[in-house]
Amino acid sequence: MKLKLIIFAANMLGWVSRATGRGSGVMLTGRFILKLQPRAAQILAADKRVIVISGTNGKTTSTALVQAGISTKYSSATNSTGANLFAGVASALSHNPSAQVAVLEVDELVVPWAIAQTKPELLILLNLGRDQLDRLSEVRVVAHKWKEAVQTLPRNSAILADADDPFAVWAAQDWKKVIWFSSGSLGHIDASTCPECGKVLWWNETGSDFSCECGFARPKPHWVLSTGILIGPNKEKVEVISGIPGKAAIANAARAIVACAQFDISLTESARAVAKIKNVDGRFGDLRIGKTNFRLLLSKNPASWRETLATTQDGPTNVLLVVNANTQDGKDTSWLWDVDFAPLAGRRILVCGERSNDVGARLTVNGIQHQIVRDEVAASRILGEVQADLIASYTAFHRLSKGAQG
Amino acid sequence: MTFAIAHLFPELLGTYGDRGNVDLLAWRLHQREISHEIIEVSVSQKVPTSADLYLLGGGEDDAQIAAMEILNRKAILRKVLSGGGHIFAVCAGFQILGESFPASGGRTVSGLDLLPMETLSVGPRSVGEVLLEPTFSSTPGSLLTGFENHSGQTRFTDVLLPLGRTLRGVGNGLQTGIDGVVTPQIVGTYMHGPALVRNPELADWILERKIGNLEPLSAPIFEQLHNERVAASR
Ligand SMILES: [Zn+2]
Repeated sequence: MKLKLIIFAANMLGWVSRATGRGSGVMLTGRFILKLQPRAAQILAADKRVIVISGTNGKTTSTALVQAGISTKYSSATNSTGANLFAGVASALSHNPSAQVAVLEVDELVVPWAIAQTKPELLILLNLGRDQLDRLSEVRVVAHKWKEAVQTLPRNSAILADADDPFAVWAAQDWKKVIWFSSGSLGHIDASTCPECGKVLWWNETGSDFSCECGFARPKPHWVLSTGILIGPNKEKVEVISGIPGKAAIANAARAIVACAQFDISLTESARAVAKIKNVDGRFGDLRIGKTNFRLLLSKNPASWRETLATTQDGPTNVLLVVNANTQDGKDTSWLWDVDFAPLAGRRILVCGERSNDVGARLTVNGIQHQIVRDEVAASRILGEVQADLIASYTAFHRLSKGAQG
Repeated sequence: MTFAIAHLFPELLGTYGDRGNVDLLAWRLHQREISHEIIEVSVSQKVPTSADLYLLGGGEDDAQIAAMEILNRKAILRKVLSGGGHIFAVCAGFQILGESFPASGGRTVSGLDLLPMETLSVGPRSVGEVLLEPTFSSTPGSLLTGFENHSGQTRFTDVLLPLGRTLRGVGNGLQTGIDGVVTPQIVGTYMHGPALVRNPELADWILERKIGNLEPLSAPIFEQLHNERVAASR
């Protein structure tokens, strides 16, 4: 069958899935396409300029921000819903086969496949940190896969990598064209030993610099984000405004502007486009349950929980935590002990989800008053007509975000 | 007297929420108004040898070797043991107490040789819930619940008492059907991260071995968590 026909049939399948309320159909269309034409991603990507984005945290947001900037100048295709495995990538490419640029979010372990299939012109490596250790394995194993995959990039490709993350640095540093970006993030809980030689890695006191006796060291960044201003290698400057709250969001916005600059989009033009993005895939969206108006937040791993707790510290007094431990959440909840929940002190905390007892035990030891409830509906009955933050792990978030309003 | 808990190299041996065990022990002592302190020992600090209880957590290959090398330098844990200190060691921290353990690239690394056991590289990785029948408990029906994630499997080279018999999970593996180890001063296990959070009985037993009988503590959340995980593992 011709690829065009396959895509047409796949899109029909997706349409049926949506019409009958069986989900967005993204995975379904992607799987269908790859089954009938395993090289579909390769064929569809062949005439496009491709950007591949990966990392533990910030993939989905970064993809949306880069896409916003890119689409000011080019027709583009993207997987905006966080479907970042093989099928999600294939499906994204099929949605707009005539697009000039494809902006693709890719799961950390799918990076080698994505490079082989889509031959990206720009590979964006954000960061690597502990996440779903039962599925993704240890951070260093993933870093190794990246380092090997990088060597299979087309010769003229560039990598945009975070100079502050030892694993992104180590994976990217052998490539001849690396654009180093720094958002000034400090320290790294998984990088106490050198990715190159395994000796204890030296960090300065603030956590802004690292090096090893073997020669491995933090590279000097070409682009630096400092107090909301992005400064480039030729002293070009732009103010970065993020429509999404939080420190990580500003860093993601700045990095997206750097990415767009590689596609000849002016800094002011892309800065304006990224500032307009207010929520991504339901994150920071509103969800009304009973009389309570929840702001929906996703937290997946220690780094993302810390970011969310810091970002929402001045938010509404009422907070509902929903934690599950399914495959996509990671089946092991030990990460709860890598997060200091102290920023929740003084707020009214309700807890539900499949692993509410794990959260309850964690909060008890952390000295945070809380109440375990059956589910979100029970929580809303207790909270009543108020504004509240709802911080959820992956599967709970995706169940709830279907009802959220952007 | 202040009960001193030394948390060894949390930046190296803390991959699986291991500080949860430290925080939980401190919390249980605090609830009973027993004077205590936590000594966080980072790689750049001198390891004290007179603390009451030493905690070693889980870590990746390179971190495990780095921790082992620091401890090997002045036979620190030998001094700890001869001074009467106790050790609770998890996963990578458990492996380094033996004669040898595997590292990346097919290497075998010599351990601290405090326990007659060796760890071998055995695939596939053991990941999932663990359920144990403990050897130490006199309570009928008592069980331990945990989560494991390791590639090495451990074999005793002389007679040793395990922490428990595995009803679910791999534990020490190599078809032994057991997990961990218990000696008068050492408790080791493959149940990582907050194993003591899930098992209040194990947490108190580890404390009582060193400080004598403790008052019972009513903290229903930990019992609920324990019972829930035991039920989910069956
Ligand atoms: Zn090094």
